[in-house]
Amino acid sequence: MGEYAVEVHDLHKDFGEVYAVKGVSFNVQRGEIFSLLGPNGAGKSTTISMLACLQRPSQGDALVMGHSVTAVPQQAKAALGIVPQEIALYDDLSARENLDFWGKMYGLRGAALQKQVDDVLELIGLTDRQKGRIGKFSGGMKRRVNIGAALLHKPDIIIMDEPTVGIDPQSRRHILDGVKALNQQGMTVLYTTHYMEEAQELSDHIAIMDQGEIIALGTHGELVRIVGEQDRIDLRINAPSELVMAHWQEVPGVSQVTADDGLISLLADDSNVVLPRLFEVATAVNVRITSVEIQEPNLETVFLHLTGRALRD
Amino acid sequence: MRVVDLAIKDLRQILRERQSAFFLLIMPVVFTLLFGFAFGGFGGGDDEDPRLPVGFLNQDAGTVSEDLVTLLAQSDVIRLVTDTMDVADLETQVKDGVTAAAVIVPAGYGQHMTAGELVPLTVIVDSGNASGITAQEEVTAAVTRLLSALQTAQVGMETAVSQNVISESDKPAYFETTLARAITAWAAPPIQVAVSQSGAVDESGTETAVSSDNAFAHSSPGMMAQFAIAGLITAAQILVLERKSGSLRRLLTTDMSRGSILLGHYLAMFVTILAQLFILILFGQLFLKLPYFQEPAATLLLTVASALFAASLGLLIGALAQSEEQAIIFSLVPMFVLAGLGGAWVPLEFTPEGFQRIAFFTPIAWMMDGFKDIIVRGLGLEAVLLATAVLIIYAIIFWGLAAWRFRFE
Repeated sequence: MGEYAVEVHDLHKDFGEVYAVKGVSFNVQRGEIFSLLGPNGAGKSTTISMLACLQRPSQGDALVMGHSVTAVPQQAKAALGIVPQEIALYDDLSARENLDFWGKMYGLRGAALQKQVDDVLELIGLTDRQKGRIGKFSGGMKRRVNIGAALLHKPDIIIMDEPTVGIDPQSRRHILDGVKALNQQGMTVLYTTHYMEEAQELSDHIAIMDQGEIIALGTHGELVRIVGEQDRIDLRINAPSELVMAHWQEVPGVSQVTADDGLISLLADDSNVVLPRLFEVATAVNVRITSVEIQEPNLETVFLHLTGRALRD
Repeated sequence: MRVVDLAIKDLRQILRERQSAFFLLIMPVVFTLLFGFAFGGFGGGDDEDPRLPVGFLNQDAGTVSEDLVTLLAQSDVIRLVTDTMDVADLETQVKDGVTAAAVIVPAGYGQHMTAGELVPLTVIVDSGNASGITAQEEVTAAVTRLLSALQTAQVGMETAVSQNVISESDKPAYFETTLARAITAWAAPPIQVAVSQSGAVDESGTETAVSSDNAFAHSSPGMMAQFAIAGLITAAQILVLERKSGSLRRLLTTDMSRGSILLGHYLAMFVTILAQLFILILFGQLFLKLPYFQEPAATLLLTVASALFAASLGLLIGALAQSEEQAIIFSLVPMFVLAGLGGAWVPLEFTPEGFQRIAFFTPIAWMMDGFKDIIVRGLGLEAVLLATAVLIIYAIIFWGLAAWRFRFE
C-alpha cells in the first residue's frame, strides 16, 4: 500500500448542465490533516460525497487506502469514518443508544461494541451524559456525538464535513482539539471548512476550492507565499464606493480592489507606503474613510488574490 | 443481522412515541366498540332473537297469505312482529327504529296471486338504514319463493287434470295440497348444494361456532383493517425524520446496501402491524367473543398477509412523504378511502353490486372478506387462501413502488 491514504484523480461531478466538481485531483498522506477550504458551493461537500461513495463520479476516480470508490466501494467505505455536516442522529434515542446503533451498523457486536462505545463516550467527553436523549442536548454536544459515531469502527481515515458549523466557541474549541488528538493517535483526517482559521490551525496541507475546482494546494506557508508579502487592507467609507475604488486601483503598489457589503478590500505591497496615498485620493474625491484594518498575508488574502472575492462570499 | 438491528432501532422509536399507542391500539378498540354498538342497534342479549324485527299486517284472509307468513317465518334474517294493526303505527315503528321494516299484505292478495296476477306487497323501509334494506331483500326472496310455489301448484294441477288424474271438482283441494307441499319443500328442499370448506364443519358434523349475530363481527375486522394503515403514521414519520436529519444518507456510508436499509425499515413496520393485529384479534376473541382462534392456521395466515400488505403501504407512505405532516396526510387519506371503499365501515352486502365490484379492487375488502370467512361464515384455511394471495400481491406492488420512489436524501 502506498504512502497516500486518499488519492483523488480528476474527479468530476455534473448534475445535467451544472458542474459541481470539475477535475479535482489531490493526495492525502497517511497520518496528516488535509483541509478542503472554500466558500459555500465551492464543491467541497460533493467531493466528500464521492469519496464516501454516496455519489458516483461522472468522471475520474479516487482511492481510499488503495480501494477504488467506483470499483470496490464497500472496501473503501470500511476504511472511512464519515462525519456529515448535518446532525445525523436520532433525537429520541440517548447518546449511548445512538452510538450503540451506529456501532452495530458498522458491524460491531457484543463486548467489543460496548468497549468502543465506552471509549468514544470518553473521547467526546460525554460519559456522564450518555443516558441523555440527543434531542435534549446542546448543538455542541450533538456535534460531538455526531463525530463519535464515525469513530466507533476505528477507521483509518475520518472525513469531517464542516463539523463546526453553527456551534458555540467552546464546543468549537473542543472539536478542534479533538481533531488534533485523533490525528496524534495516527488517524488521517480529511477536513472541509469555510473557516480560514480552522484550516490554518489544523492542516498539514490545504486545498483551496472555488466553483468546483482546486485553485491552490499546499502547506499554509506555501499558499501564503502565492501572494508574496502583500498586505490586505480593509476599509469602510461614508459614500458610494465606485469612484474612489477606481482611483485607488491606480495607486502604485495596489494590486487588487474589491468591495463586499460596504467593505472595500485591497491587496497592497506595503501598507505603510500605500495607506497615506489612499487617504489623499479619498480626500480628493470628497470621501471620508471611517475605518481601516490591515492584515498580514493569510489564506483569506490568498483566496482574494486568486478569485477576486472574499472567502466569506 | 444489521437489518434486524435497524428494525429494532425503529421499533424502539415507535414505542417511545405516545401517538403510537393511540393509533395502534386505543383508536381501533374504541372504534370497534363504537361501530359494533351502532350495528347492534336491533340486537339484544344472548337470550333474545337476533333476527331483524319486521312489522307485519295481513289484510288478506286467504290461505296464500298464510303461506307467505310461513315462508317469512322460516327466515334466519327477519322475524315477524304481528301485534300492530294500524298502518300509521307500522310507519312510526320503522321511523323510530323499533322495526327494521314493515310488510302489509293487501286484501285480495291470495285471490289475485292464485289467478296469476301479480299484486305488490307494501313494504315500509327507511332507505338510509342498512338493516331495512336487508329486511326488504329477505321479504322479496320470500315472495319469489311463494310465486314459485304457486306456479308449481298451478302446473301440477293442470297436468293432473289433463291426465285425468283428478276431476274438475277436485282441483281446489289438489291445488291447496300441491301448494302446501311446494311451500314445505322450500324449508327442506330434496336437492341441496352442500358447499364444504375446510374447517366449516367439525368431525361430528355439527357446524362450528360462527358470529353472524355478533354485533362486533363486522366492526372488529373492519377497524383492524382501517387502523392497520393509521398505525403506520409513526413509522412513516420516523422514515421522514431519518431522511431529513441525514441519518438515512449516513446509513449509506456503512456497507449496508440500499435494499437492506429498506428491508430493515419494512421489517419494523411489519412487526408493528403484526403485533397490533394479534392484540386486536386477542381482544376480539376474549372480550367480543369472536371466534378468531377457531381456525388458528387461517387466522395466522391472513394476519401475516395483512401485516405484509399494510407494512408495504407504510413503506410507500414513508417513501413519498417529505415532511411529518405529509406522513400523517398520506396515511389518513388511504386509510379513509380504502376503509370506506373496502367495506370496513358498512358491510359490502348492504351496498349495491357495482360498489361491491369496485370494493374488491381494494386490499381492505379482501382482508375483511378473509376475516369474516373465519369469524362469520365459520370457514377455514382453504377459504382464506385467495384473500391471502391477493394481499401478498398488494404487498409486492406497494413494495415495488416504495423501492422505486424511495429517496435517501
